[in-house]
Amino acid sequence: MFPPDPTANSTEPPALRMRRIAKSFGASRVLIDVDFELHRGEIHALMGENGAGKSTLMKIAAGLIEDFEGEIAVDGKIVHLTSPRAAARAGIAIIHQELCLVPELEVDENIFLGQEKLRSGFIVDRANQIRAAREVLKMLDYHGNLETPVSKLRVGEQQLVEIAKALVARARILIMDEPTSALSINETDRLFQVIRRLAAEGVAIVYISHRMEEVLALANTVTVLRDGRLIGTLSGKQASRRELIRMMVGREIQEMLATGKDPAAVREPLIDVRNLWLEHPRPTPLRPRLVDNVSFSVAAGEVFGLGGLLGAGRTETLEVLFGLHPATSGGVVRIRGKTTRILSPVLAKEAGISLVTEDRKRDGLILGAGIDRNVGLPVTRLLAHFGVVSNTLEQALASAKIAQLNIQAAHGPAQIVASLSGGNQQKVVVGKCLVTQPKILLLDEPTRGIDVGAKAEIYRLIQELAGQGLAIILVTSELPELILLSDRILVLREGLPTAILNREDFSQEIILEFASSGGATQPEFLTPEAAA
Amino acid sequence: MMTKLFWGLAVLYGLGIFLSPVNRKGINIFLSPGNQSDVLRQVSNNGIIAVGMTLVIMTGGIDLSVGSMMALGCMLCAMLLTLQGWTTASASSIPILALVCLLLCAYLVPLIAINLRRGSRPVEKPSPGVRLFGLILGLVVAGLSVWWTTSQLQSKFTVLGVLVTVPAVGLAVGSLNGLIISKGRMQPFIVTLAMMVAILGAARLLGGETAAIYPVYTGSNATEKFDILRALVLQVVPVPGIFFLVAVLIFGFVLKFTTFGRYIYAIGGNEQAARLAGIHVDQVKISVYAVSGMLASLAGVLYTAQYRQGKPDAGSGAELDAIAAVVIGGTNLMGGKGSMIGTLVGVLIFGFLSNILLLKNINSNTQFVLKGAIILAAVLLQEGQLGLWWKRLRSSVYPSAYPGRSKEQVSEKVTR
Repeated sequence: MFPPDPTANSTEPPALRMRRIAKSFGASRVLIDVDFELHRGEIHALMGENGAGKSTLMKIAAGLIEDFEGEIAVDGKIVHLTSPRAAARAGIAIIHQELCLVPELEVDENIFLGQEKLRSGFIVDRANQIRAAREVLKMLDYHGNLETPVSKLRVGEQQLVEIAKALVARARILIMDEPTSALSINETDRLFQVIRRLAAEGVAIVYISHRMEEVLALANTVTVLRDGRLIGTLSGKQASRRELIRMMVGREIQEMLATGKDPAAVREPLIDVRNLWLEHPRPTPLRPRLVDNVSFSVAAGEVFGLGGLLGAGRTETLEVLFGLHPATSGGVVRIRGKTTRILSPVLAKEAGISLVTEDRKRDGLILGAGIDRNVGLPVTRLLAHFGVVSNTLEQALASAKIAQLNIQAAHGPAQIVASLSGGNQQKVVVGKCLVTQPKILLLDEPTRGIDVGAKAEIYRLIQELAGQGLAIILVTSELPELILLSDRILVLREGLPTAILNREDFSQEIILEFASSGGATQPEFLTPEAAA
Repeated sequence: MMTKLFWGLAVLYGLGIFLSPVNRKGINIFLSPGNQSDVLRQVSNNGIIAVGMTLVIMTGGIDLSVGSMMALGCMLCAMLLTLQGWTTASASSIPILALVCLLLCAYLVPLIAINLRRGSRPVEKPSPGVRLFGLILGLVVAGLSVWWTTSQLQSKFTVLGVLVTVPAVGLAVGSLNGLIISKGRMQPFIVTLAMMVAILGAARLLGGETAAIYPVYTGSNATEKFDILRALVLQVVPVPGIFFLVAVLIFGFVLKFTTFGRYIYAIGGNEQAARLAGIHVDQVKISVYAVSGMLASLAGVLYTAQYRQGKPDAGSGAELDAIAAVVIGGTNLMGGKGSMIGTLVGVLIFGFLSNILLLKNINSNTQFVLKGAIILAAVLLQEGQLGLWWKRLRSSVYPSAYPGRSKEQVSEKVTR
């Protein structure tokens, strides 16, 4: 559909050439004859929905997957990248979304882990290491203390340490998987400068990201994958937002959600929260409590947004409402006017509350089990006669949820959840939370790390559920999403409520102003718009 | 996965027939009913413990205290059978039995009441009336159990007496394991390791300093009927084997078909997800350790019947044998994956292996080495690692054969 990058004609062989790469996991083919070319000094963005195969392709390049078909050449020489070590020898380094640092080791020890500078053969030469580390980090614009455990650093700084580690290993090809997902705007800007400088010095960079604006701002070349196939490679100049979305999704996406709803009629609050608080494990004078004196009420059919910076106490508010901190939290929660003490998830379930957690893999899903088992789990009791679970009922329930939420499961309700794409996994989590027929739905970052198409479906679902009379409390770090979906927004700062905004007052600027203390601290909202 | 296991068992069985010596009448000793019956008898103790261990491992835990629990059960059983009146054994086990009866009724009655009704809400609370009924029933049963056991004190315990009392003690100690692990949020390894040491000490204390071993002479110092626990049904099936198979059936059913079984899988698969789904994770965990302790002490009773003595070192190493059998049976030590039928096969593989080595008259130390090797091989085979190693080996010897396509194919496509 699109011709390959014309720069391929240049005399210099590409830094990395992957040819006809194919890979299957069991019966599902995740990569089908994909070609990929990367040149020195190029910033090459790799885009695609979740499950498109970007990560798999780059894992192959980094030697993390050894069982694939196809051919890889580095600088024109064919290589067998059958282990991370082999990839490192070929000058390829990957920086994962979740950083791979040893938290308790200090900066230089992390940078030189596995390639320590030694004195008389076996003693680690810290002084020498620190000197060398400082030199590399200076190039990356990092001037902090090196003799400190990396766990004490901010995420952005840790990222620089990872990059330094790759540079020390003489990496000429750097693969970065969603590097900005946990960074503030400032840190993102700094990272972009570093990336551009590295590219100018001849390092070839693969940049995987969901964020359209980042890609448009940064990349010289964009390659789009869909369903394991190469859809096309564009030069940065050719690429436009619209065009990229069309390539990724395979169809034109209209505005994701047409309009806001009618202003919610004044209804009786379904859930009323008064003076909610949660202890801080390590209280400081500035932050005595994680959540402090939060009050709000949500009516049936209303989507109530919680806004705030990272660490403002939004997730914690939901956790307290779901009974996850019985010993260290307090406040009055009334549901339909009745004071309810929610001291455990069991009691939350009984009170008609469901929580879609932030991290679906850690808290939401049993990855090794089927969709049916996951979806049926909260209501196992209802699927059983005399304690014996009925498979028929379970399958029927799962099938119903698969149909309702449009979950793409090739192997039916028993398909193992780990083999689904991120968006579909998220739908399973949502399905699991809906089977208890909750009246109050707590959503914590419901669209994190899922692709454009699935996002639109989740948005539609949220509006549909609100239409059915559920009270929805929504936490999301994507400001446009918060504004799009919410009827009202409560803004938190350092655990304290600063404002409750009505729909007509919504704007990114106002929310940011209330979220950050008078502009003294930098906003950490991870908005695509702001990052661009 | 399961087929692989059954093939393993079949191959081992064939190997047994092939390697077995043949006696003067031309009968294959391995295949003789006597030998097959012996194998079942020998595996049944390990098997019963492995059944409980499967439940525990499936939740992602481990129970190292089962060997000591078996020793405690063995000592208790021998002392209750051979000593009259109030002894350390009876004085400790009768109150525990009463407590177990009380708590079990108070816990199970409301649970059963809920499950009898087909509710419509995901969380259903028992009515106060049902709770009260459970409590009262518990008190009555506890009283009855005390009356029943104390009435046996004068004439020493009956078979049914020990079969009820000793597992009740195991259940109590197992629940304590589970209680510490779940409520204290502690590592099962450490907790049960500590309990392993402590229970062994308790078993020794129980016997007193003078007599470490209590011989059980059925007919003279204990009831004759105790022999029933080592008898053969229909001349071939040993009674301990029946206990083992029944345990496999019951808990296999529980694991595969009941809500409790689903919760066990869920907790092993992702404990936090199970907790957030509103499951009583702590209750399930306590229950599996309770079952494990109960079955281990039951194995102690059967040991006493088999070897006609109660001694504190009865179960030494039993925990490791049980874990090995469970792991050979394909249950994942991280939890969430496995089956009871796998454990049955694992136990049988272990048993037949010992039997073959015994029939071949192989030195017992060599047997240990071979068993260790077999465990490693079985686990490697199940994790599918051997195949990967083979591929890697092949690729290092013939680099062109790997990865994937041949050079001709690739170049053909390039020139296209």
